[in-house]
Amino acid sequence: MRAIILTAVIWLLALPAFASESESVDTGKVVASIVSSHDSVAPGQEFYIALRTVLDEGWHTYWRNPGDSGEPVQISWKMPEDVTAGEIYWPLPRPIPTGPIVNYGFEGTPLFPVKFTVSPDAEIGTDITVVSNFYYLVCEEICIPEYGSASLSVAVGDPVIDARWSAEIEAALAASPTRGEVQGAIQKSGNVVDISFTDLPEGDFSNAYFFPYDQGVLGHSNPQTVIKGTQGLILTTTPDYLWEDTTPKTLEGVLTFDDGGALKGTNIALAVGQNLDIGESYVPPVGFGKVTLWTAIFGALIGGLILNLMPCVFPVISIKALSIAKTAHGERSVIRREAWLYTAGVMATFLLLTGVLLALKAGGAEIGWGFQLQSPKVVAILAVLLFVIGLNLLGVFEFGSGLQNTGQSLTQKSGAAGSFFTGALAVVVATPCTAPMMAGAVGYALAAPAIVTLAVFMALALGFALPFLLIAYVPGLLSRLPKPGPWMARFKEVLSFPMFAAAIWLVWVLNLQAGDDGLLTVLSAMLAVAIAIWCFKHTKTFGKAIGALALLAAIVMPLSISAGTSAGEVVAAELKAETWSPARVAEIQAEGRPVFVDFTAAWCVTCKVNEKLVLNTAKVQTLFEETDTAFLVADWTNKDDVIAAELAKYGRAGVPLYLVYSNNSVSPVILPQTLSYKVISEAIAGE
Amino acid sequence: MSVSKVLFSTLAVSALAIAAPATAKIATGSNVADMTVTDSNGVQHNLSDFAGQKVVLEWTNEGCPYVAKHYSTNNMQKTQAMAEADGSVWLSVISSAPGKQGYKTGEEANAWKDAQGAEVTAIVLDPEGEMGQTFAAKTTPHMYIIDEAQTLVYQGAIDDNRSANPATVEGAENYVLSAMNDLKAGNAVAVSDTAPYGCSVKYKS
Repeated sequence: MRAIILTAVIWLLALPAFASESESVDTGKVVASIVSSHDSVAPGQEFYIALRTVLDEGWHTYWRNPGDSGEPVQISWKMPEDVTAGEIYWPLPRPIPTGPIVNYGFEGTPLFPVKFTVSPDAEIGTDITVVSNFYYLVCEEICIPEYGSASLSVAVGDPVIDARWSAEIEAALAASPTRGEVQGAIQKSGNVVDISFTDLPEGDFSNAYFFPYDQGVLGHSNPQTVIKGTQGLILTTTPDYLWEDTTPKTLEGVLTFDDGGALKGTNIALAVGQNLDIGESYVPPVGFGKVTLWTAIFGALIGGLILNLMPCVFPVISIKALSIAKTAHGERSVIRREAWLYTAGVMATFLLLTGVLLALKAGGAEIGWGFQLQSPKVVAILAVLLFVIGLNLLGVFEFGSGLQNTGQSLTQKSGAAGSFFTGALAVVVATPCTAPMMAGAVGYALAAPAIVTLAVFMALALGFALPFLLIAYVPGLLSRLPKPGPWMARFKEVLSFPMFAAAIWLVWVLNLQAGDDGLLTVLSAMLAVAIAIWCFKHTKTFGKAIGALALLAAIVMPLSISAGTSAGEVVAAELKAETWSPARVAEIQAEGRPVFVDFTAAWCVTCKVNEKLVLNTAKVQTLFEETDTAFLVADWTNKDDVIAAELAKYGRAGVPLYLVYSNNSVSPVILPQTLSYKVISEAIAGE
Repeated sequence: MSVSKVLFSTLAVSALAIAAPATAKIATGSNVADMTVTDSNGVQHNLSDFAGQKVVLEWTNEGCPYVAKHYSTNNMQKTQAMAEADGSVWLSVISSAPGKQGYKTGEEANAWKDAQGAEVTAIVLDPEGEMGQTFAAKTTPHMYIIDEAQTLVYQGAIDDNRSANPATVEGAENYVLSAMNDLKAGNAVAVSDTAPYGCSVKYKS
C-alpha cells in the first residue's frame, strides 16, 4: 500500500513541466491563482481556465451587478493567437447587506471559469501560455481594490485532464446558473414591482431572490417578498430609476433558490408586462415564520381545542356537556361510545366541508373558510335551528312521546345519532369562528396540496373533539364533573340564552345578506316552527298534520331566501368608508395619502368587535382625518372573487385582514387581528 | 378577549408589520424636504437656506479607493471649482459612523479639506447617517444636484467609468458637469438618474 502511494507521489512530482495551476498571488485580502481543467489539450478542443480566489474571512468580492455599491470581478487575458477566451461563468451571487446597503457578491472561495477554445491549427508539441490580469474590489467594512497577474501553460497534444482542477471547475460550472424551463415576467405598478415565475424546477423557493444583470432595475436594498403559488411564485420589491423614462423591453437576471441545502440558480429573461398566473397563492403571515406541515397540524390541533370556548360554539358544546354530565355516573363504556360518536360527527362534518371546499377550489372558485355562511340559505336554517334548540332548552317543549314518533331534533336524540349530530352542528356553527382564528393554518392548508389540506383540517377536528375524548378517557376528569341533580334543569334553561343570542346574530347577518325580505322570511319560519311545536304538543291527528305542514314551511322558507343588495351598507357607517378595489388603493397612494383597508364580513365576529371597539371610535376617526387616511372597506359578507384573491395574497383564507399602506412604504403593513389605536397609528406613521 | 389573545400568541397568526424599507430614495424631479445639518465648523445649515442657488451634494469617505480616484486625479476638485464658479453651493457629506472608515471630527475634516485643496462650501458631518438615509446615499462618491427651486435634478454616479483605477478618469463623462451645463443652458438635465458606484457608505450599524 505504502509503495503505491509513494509511487503515486513520485509520479505526481515528476509531472509538472505543464502546471495546470499558476503560482498563487497574495493580493492582500485575497489569494488568487489561475487553474486549468487540462494539463494538455488537443487542437480544436475546448477547455476551461478559471480564476480561483481565496478570500479572507469576512471579506467579499462582487458579482457582475455588484448591487448598491462595489465593482465586479474583472479578468483580462493575454494568450497566443491559437486560443480564444469566452466570458466568465459567474458563480451564484448572494445578497450581502451592510447596514442599509445591499451588495451582490461572493465570500469564501469563488471560482470564475472561462471557456477557452484551441484553434484546430494549433501545433502539437507547442505550449499555450495564458496570462491573466485580474482586478477585484474586496470589501469587508472598508474596500480595497486589488489586482494581480498570473500565468500557466498547457501543452498541445493528447488531451490530459487535470483531475483536481477539472473537478473543481466542473463543480463551479454545474453550480453556475443555466437557462431552464422557468418563465418570468415583471410588472410595475407605482412603487412596486412584481416579478412572477412559473414552470419552476424542484426546490425550496421560500428565500428565492432575483438578481438582475443590470443596475437601475430593482431597488437592491429593499427586500424581495416571496409569495408562493401553486404554479409559481411572485417576488415583490421596488423598481429603480431605469423605469422612470422608459419601460425596459426585457430584463435578464438570475433567480436563486434552495435545493436540498444547496443554492441553485437559473437564468431568466423577464418579459415586461402582465404577471404570470401562479395559481392559488399563500404568504405565511409575517411573524408566523415558515409554516411547516407539522406546525400547521399542531396549530390546528390547539386551535380546534380552543375553539370550544368561542362564543358561537359554546352553546352547542354545553348541550353536549349536559348530556355527558347526565351519563357521567353511568357506564363508562357508554360515555366513551358517546365521545367517539361525537368525535366522529365532528370529523365527518369537517371532512364534508373540506371535501366541498376542495371540490370548489378544484373548480377554480375563489373561496375561503367560513364560506358556508356566505349562503343566506344556510344562515337562515342555522338561525331557525338555534331558535328551536333555544326553545327546547328553555323547556317550551320536551322531546316527549308526541314528538318522538314524528321526528325530533337530532341533537337532542340520546344515543348514537344524538352524539354524532351534536358534533356536526358544533362544527357548522363553529366555522365562522375558525376562519379568523385559524387564518395561518387554514391559509396554509388551502394553498397546500389536497392531502395536506385534509391533514390540517382533520387535526383541527380532532382538537375540537378532544375535550370530550379526554373526559371519556381520563378518570379524574369524569369524577370531577358535577353530580346530576335539579340544578341541571336550571342550567339547561340558562343555556338557552346564548342560543337565542346566536340566533339573533345570524338573523342580523341574514338581514345584511338578503335584506328585509330575508328578515321577514326567517322570522316567519321561526313562527312556523313555534306553531309546529304547539301543534305537536297539544293536538291530535289533524292538528299534528297542520304541525307537520308548519314544520315543512319552516324548512322551505329559509331555502327560498336569496342574496339581496343591502349587504355591506351598514358596515362602518360611522367612518367615511369607500368601497375597496385594488385600483382605488393605487389611486389614493398616488395622491400621497395613507390607506387603511378593512377586509370584513357581517358574519365575522372578530371583525365586528374590532369595528365596534377600535375602528368606529372617535379617536381612530380623528386619526384618519388628521393623517388624511383613506378608509377602504372590502366586504366579504357575500362571495367575492377579487376579495378572496386579495386575501390569498396575504396568506389569509378568511377575514378579518387589516392592511395599512403608509406614505413611506410601498408594501402594506399587515396589522394584527386584534386592533388597537396604537397599532393603527404606528402603521399609518410608517413606524 | 384574553382567550383570543392566548390564541394569537399560541398560533402566532397575528401578523406583524412588514418592515418598511429604510432607504426609499427621493424621486428625481421631486422637492427635497428641508433639513438641518451641521458642518465641520459646528455651523448649522438649513437646506432651505440655499433656495435660489444650486446645491451639489457629494458623499465622501477619505479611505475609499473610489473617492481617492477622483481626488488624486484632481477630478473632484475641478468639478467643485466649476460649480463654485457657477455660483453653486457644494456640500461634501461624511456619513461614516464613529469608528468606521472615513469618520472625521470637524477638525480632521477641515484638515483633510485643506490637504486636498477641496473647494467646497462646507463639509457636513452626518455620523448618525440621517442625511445619508434621507437621500438614500449608497456609495462614496454619490452625487446629487438640487436646483434653485429645491428640486432634486440629478442623483447618481460622478461619471460613467465605474472603476477604482485613477487612469479611468480621463475620457469618462462627468455626469455632474454635464448636468450643470444642461441647467446653465436652460435645459432639463438629460441624464438625471444613474447608478452610483463606489464603496458603500459606512453607516452606523
